[in-house]
Amino acid sequence: MAYKKIILLLSVVLVIRLSQCERLHEQIYSSIEGGAACFQRLNGTHQAGCKSPMNGAVGVVQMIDDVSDAAWLVNNATAGPYMAVVNTAMFLDVIDLFMLKSDNIAGILIYQNGTARPKTFSQESTCPNEVSSDPASQCPASSGVSWNMGGTGLLRRNIPFPIFYLPQTRIEEIDKINNCFQRYNLDRANQNGKPLCSIQLKSFMFAAVNSEVCLRRSTTSALLTPTKVCDPLGDQNVYFSLFPRGKGVEVKTKPITLVTARIDSASLFDGLAPGAASSVVGMVTLLMSAVTLSKMLPISDSQLYDSNVVWNLFNGESYDYIGSQRVAYEMKFGAWPTFAPMDSSDVKLHVELGQIGGSLNLYSENASWPLYAYAAESYTPVTEFLNEMLTNAKQFNMTLLPVFTKNIPPSSLHSFRRILKNETESGEFPEVLLVDYKDTFTNAYYESVFDDADNIGFVYRNISVGPDGQFVPTSALLANGTIREWDVQVKISRLATALALTLYQRVAGKPYADDVDASAHLADEMLYCFLRSQACRLLLAAAYATSTVEVPVASAAPLYVGVAAQSNTPAIFAGHLLALLAGTHLPLNKTGCDALNKPGFSYYWLRGWNHTGVCMQTTMNFTQAVSPAFLLQDYDMSSGMYSTWTESVWAAMWARVFVSGSGGGARAAALAGAAATLAAALLTYWLSKHADLLFKQPADSIANDAASGSVTGHRYFEL
Amino acid sequence: MTLAEFFSCSLLAFGAPLAMFALTIANDPVRIIIMIAAAFAWLLSFLVSSLVWFAVVPLRSHLAFGMVFAVIIQEAFRYGTYRLLRKTEAGLKEISENHNISSNKMEMAYVSGLGFGTMSGAFALVNVLADSVGPGTLGLYSGTEFFFVTSAAMTLCMILLNTFWSIIFFSGLDDKNYLKITWVIGSHFLVSGLSLLNRNQWYAATILPSYLVLVATAVIAFRSAGGTTKGLMQTLAARS
Repeated sequence: MAYKKIILLLSVVLVIRLSQCERLHEQIYSSIEGGAACFQRLNGTHQAGCKSPMNGAVGVVQMIDDVSDAAWLVNNATAGPYMAVVNTAMFLDVIDLFMLKSDNIAGILIYQNGTARPKTFSQESTCPNEVSSDPASQCPASSGVSWNMGGTGLLRRNIPFPIFYLPQTRIEEIDKINNCFQRYNLDRANQNGKPLCSIQLKSFMFAAVNSEVCLRRSTTSALLTPTKVCDPLGDQNVYFSLFPRGKGVEVKTKPITLVTARIDSASLFDGLAPGAASSVVGMVTLLMSAVTLSKMLPISDSQLYDSNVVWNLFNGESYDYIGSQRVAYEMKFGAWPTFAPMDSSDVKLHVELGQIGGSLNLYSENASWPLYAYAAESYTPVTEFLNEMLTNAKQFNMTLLPVFTKNIPPSSLHSFRRILKNETESGEFPEVLLVDYKDTFTNAYYESVFDDADNIGFVYRNISVGPDGQFVPTSALLANGTIREWDVQVKISRLATALALTLYQRVAGKPYADDVDASAHLADEMLYCFLRSQACRLLLAAAYATSTVEVPVASAAPLYVGVAAQSNTPAIFAGHLLALLAGTHLPLNKTGCDALNKPGFSYYWLRGWNHTGVCMQTTMNFTQAVSPAFLLQDYDMSSGMYSTWTESVWAAMWARVFVSGSGGGARAAALAGAAATLAAALLTYWLSKHADLLFKQPADSIANDAASGSVTGHRYFEL
Repeated sequence: MTLAEFFSCSLLAFGAPLAMFALTIANDPVRIIIMIAAAFAWLLSFLVSSLVWFAVVPLRSHLAFGMVFAVIIQEAFRYGTYRLLRKTEAGLKEISENHNISSNKMEMAYVSGLGFGTMSGAFALVNVLADSVGPGTLGLYSGTEFFFVTSAAMTLCMILLNTFWSIIFFSGLDDKNYLKITWVIGSHFLVSGLSLLNRNQWYAATILPSYLVLVATAVIAFRSAGGTTKGLMQTLAARS
């Protein structure tokens, strides 16, 4: 600190200084804060995403206001490379041009301006997870329609330049850039040889080529320093069974109804994967349905029923179905889940809650909600389930239209249909997928930064929860007008109730007669936790009870699966919510809770509703969601059998704006420097040569030095 | 463009001092010692200035105050260098192979002045040079890309000024000519004061008067070292 001050003082006092004690560096550069960078992922054959050069990409700012600006940039601009600053509404129109002719493009800065959203914005491909789909599926369909019509596919493409995203909250950064742009860059015809406003984007990625190469490089080490360049993607699946399962727990193996949904979403930009319609609605429906069914069929009655329900949340589904591939792969060998393995023949029906929520905004003032059920064939368990579900949904104004086709939308069904091909094709492993679209997604922002709470029209009601976790029933909320028929909370809770009722029928063999249902209040809280803030009532109650209370951040956790080496919060949240809401509360203290070890159960010491700690007994458990590709020795990464996605390691991501020089200063300095040096050299030489003539010494010093002077030949002054 | 900026600014600021060093100092070890000693003296003056600046809190917010103290301390150290060199003159003569070492009193003044100036120039410009490598240049908020070249030109001016000031200062002390000393301190204040104008980007208002002062100082230094117009004419005539 003192050192810096000293340097500062000197600069101030002795030479040229700028205004009031600011470092020169801060006068030159202004960092662009709050941006999210596109980063790099790799699969078995390709690299995808963005990277900047090691020192960052530098380009001249060009604000893209219409397509002609973009055309000028790639075709006619000469002072390049350029940094295109594009708003989200324009992005879809110009990105293809930039990708096609990227020579003149140093990078792209995307920003969101105002609350108006682009018509579509999805960086996923038009056929998500195409390579991991069942070969019988057709995308695009023969009619030309594909699932994600507005998708640019950037998430799966190698982008030759870095891309940063600035949210609406950071619009002042764009104003700063625009001011600089207006001052320096407007004269398009004469940009060469002028100072120009420029941006530097740094998002250098360590990995390259493909997963195989980068994983091999990660195992080498240079001079005892491990050099990790990429990590496999993966996280945890969340498993929960209605009744405890496994050896020594069940008298005989009960047939299983497998109900699944996905946890994760994706986005091109680091840390921005809200995934509301893409995954959260499905996940919340599953969680609520599981909680409701566990209230309808308490664990203590498990001996009474000959059937069981297993709920599973898959993680990493955005990247070639990591979670479901792992489950299907292990199920093939009768090894999933490890603590209570099941055989694929035990599963009598697989119900997947797919992407539901995209159409919620379309029916925002309407209590109806049309849903579709996709199944490959009309096998008996499927039609039975659909009939029952249809009946239950109808009472809630929801319609359910069965679609029997081999062309199944992107979902975990593809993993099972590929890996358990014989079982699924023969009908031994019947599958059905619930979605809210037909032929093409209703969600225009599939796996993008705009797939947030607004995309499903969610408005948090903030209703207080009872001291022991009692939620206000939907009917009471509707009666007092807190919530309306067409609110997403009501729709989701009703779908969860309908599913729970259908599953009750399957397990108990009779219609449900009591009055337990899923509360819209619970849906309100859950959606708030996953879409708005981690510092929510539910997650505070469901967190581990530790002595140090960590207050979670007041923003939603990104749903990107992340690397397998680090566990992400969404899966843990989901698991803990199941433990808290669907588990059995045991009256024990922490020591007693930790000592319990009953087979078929796990025990969690959670904070509970009054934050003093509760012991929860639950069948919930976590299983690994890492692709089989990374387990198998000698797996051929290019075979395309399993997901091979890895994420590159990076050191820093930042962006800054500044003015780049025309070189005029450098030329002036070079000329002046050469002239000054030459002049000084000649003058010094001349002066020292003629010193004896030029410099006459005062008489006394001549006298003093006479003796020595004569020795060396009268050189009085030698320069 | 940016590396070019770095090297050309370095050339502008240090090219001339380097040429002078190579032609007049590098071939004599005793002169090198004197130059390094003077550079060290400047560093010490810098340290004391910093301590004063650090200790006297009101100085920190007012550049002009800090500048006044820094100039006074530098001149005090110039005087210290003078006393030191005059005291060690005899000893230096003993160890020197060239017993002519201080045949002209002003020779030591020139060598120590160059050392003093070079060190001050190095410290003044090093920050600026570090930022000149780019990729950016000034202009985002204020200033222009010519900031670096003007900084380098000012640094060159200060190095040469320090060299000449030392000659005039030493000569003034030798002759008890306090007018010369007044000129040194006065012009030092003037040039440093001019540099304060840079906060308003009046580069020309700093550079031009500073170089005028440099020319005047150079003439005075020439005369102080024993140079005369007559001698100059004779030399020029003898050459032609």
